Amino acid sequence: MSFAQWVAIYGPTYVTGLAWTAFIALWASFGAVVWGCVLLLIRLSAGRWGACGVDAYVQLFRNTPVLLPIYLIYFAFPMIGLPWPAVVCGGLALILQNGAYISEILRGSVNAIDRVQFDAAKSLGLASWSTFRKVVLPQVLVYSIPALGNQVVLLLKDTSLLSAISITELTMQAKLLTEQTGAAYEAFIVVALLYLVLVSSTEVLFRVAHHAVRWR
Amino acid sequence: MLNVHARHVWAAVLVATLMVMSPAAGAEEKSRLDVVLERGKLIVVTLTTVPPFAFNDEKGQLVGFDIDIARLLAQALFKDPTKVEFVSVTAEGRWPAIESGRADMGVGGTTTYPDRALRVAFTRPFIDSGISVLVSKKSGIKTLADLNQDKFTVASLNNPQMADRAKRFFPKAKALTFDTPAAQFLAVRSGRANALQIDTPSAEYWAAHNKDEMDVLPGLLGASQNNGVFMKPGDFKWWLWLDTAVAEMRTGSWYPQYTEIYQKWFGKNPPPQKFYLSQ
Repeated sequence: MSFAQWVAIYGPTYVTGLAWTAFIALWASFGAVVWGCVLLLIRLSAGRWGACGVDAYVQLFRNTPVLLPIYLIYFAFPMIGLPWPAVVCGGLALILQNGAYISEILRGSVNAIDRVQFDAAKSLGLASWSTFRKVVLPQVLVYSIPALGNQVVLLLKDTSLLSAISITELTMQAKLLTEQTGAAYEAFIVVALLYLVLVSSTEVLFRVAHHAVRWR
Repeated sequence: MLNVHARHVWAAVLVATLMVMSPAAGAEEKSRLDVVLERGKLIVVTLTTVPPFAFNDEKGQLVGFDIDIARLLAQALFKDPTKVEFVSVTAEGRWPAIESGRADMGVGGTTTYPDRALRVAFTRPFIDSGISVLVSKKSGIKTLADLNQDKFTVASLNNPQMADRAKRFFPKAKALTFDTPAAQFLAVRSGRANALQIDTPSAEYWAAHNKDEMDVLPGLLGASQNNGVFMKPGDFKWWLWLDTAVAEMRTGSWYPQYTEIYQKWFGKNPPPQKFYLSQ
């Protein structure tokens, strides 16, 4: 069977996998950005102990492979009476890890703003909310969007690990097709191409976003 | 003069290239058997989380019935049971490992199916198997018929045979799919699933090691089955040697060694060597 024939026959089977991957990546990215912001706010406003706590959290998640929280949350939570669906467990694990990275990205962007600007804002009589909205946020967006884009791409690719907890996303779909047809190369080449499409579109999206905030 | 010289050099290069290429192009592909013998080591692909066929013991050593069968083959090839390298994979990784030539052969609780035999070659079975259902005692499931209710979840491996059985025997139950037997087992242990389907010896092994929590349901899902050694199809010499070796284990000169391994892992004698011989 040629590659084209194979794709014609089994290509449609990938649709559900593609939908799951996109769905999980989407809500987990959103959650990770929110969680990253929360972590940053705690670090900046909750005093020394808050900063220490967030630091410990970031170290913990940055220095462990994401497969561990995935396994732990999926298999251990039912034992403590929380039998959440696999999609929730997997997404949560991705949010917990990527949130740690994203809080660091945002922290770097906030630190990149010159201290003098805060003094200037104060002397202009801006309240802290206005300072955040008019001075901090526009610059943080410009600084952080490319790095956030990278992080979302990493998260998107890490969704492949969720095949380990019975989620039928793209990688699991390829594994099932390999078992069914024996065509390991075809199954995984198609998946690679689909990931390429997803990642490229994500990159384009972030480039457009970056452009939009840049020239405001 | 220089030109003539250059032409000679080119001609020599061409002849040399043809000489190097022609035996490879003309001769048949070398049998895996010769490759293995030359290498002095057997490379075996296996699952590593299916006790008692292939799993890691308390010391982290890969052990099991199928592992010992592979070592017995190495004993026959090299007079040394340690001349084996094991390549560990997940369930679906077995086929590309064979197809790509990364491994010479495979074992590891692998069932022979006619549709599988279209892409990998199997020897005759080196052990009888079957698919049983392991349940958590908490679930209250007592028979295979009990299982077919929408309040139950059953963990399977990611192969179509498991999916077909799930549809045939418990279509109402919810299905979870994993890529290793260890993850299936963990799913039942953690309460993610109420039951799992797996080779009978594995189900019995897990039940025996978790007496308070788990049970094997009486009866098989479908028929008795065969587990064979698998390899790349089309290499007659290699297949013939492996099949002969397996035949000798079950019915011939190696029956004593085979019995010893069988006793070690299952605590009982294998089926009789020949039906007309009394044990």
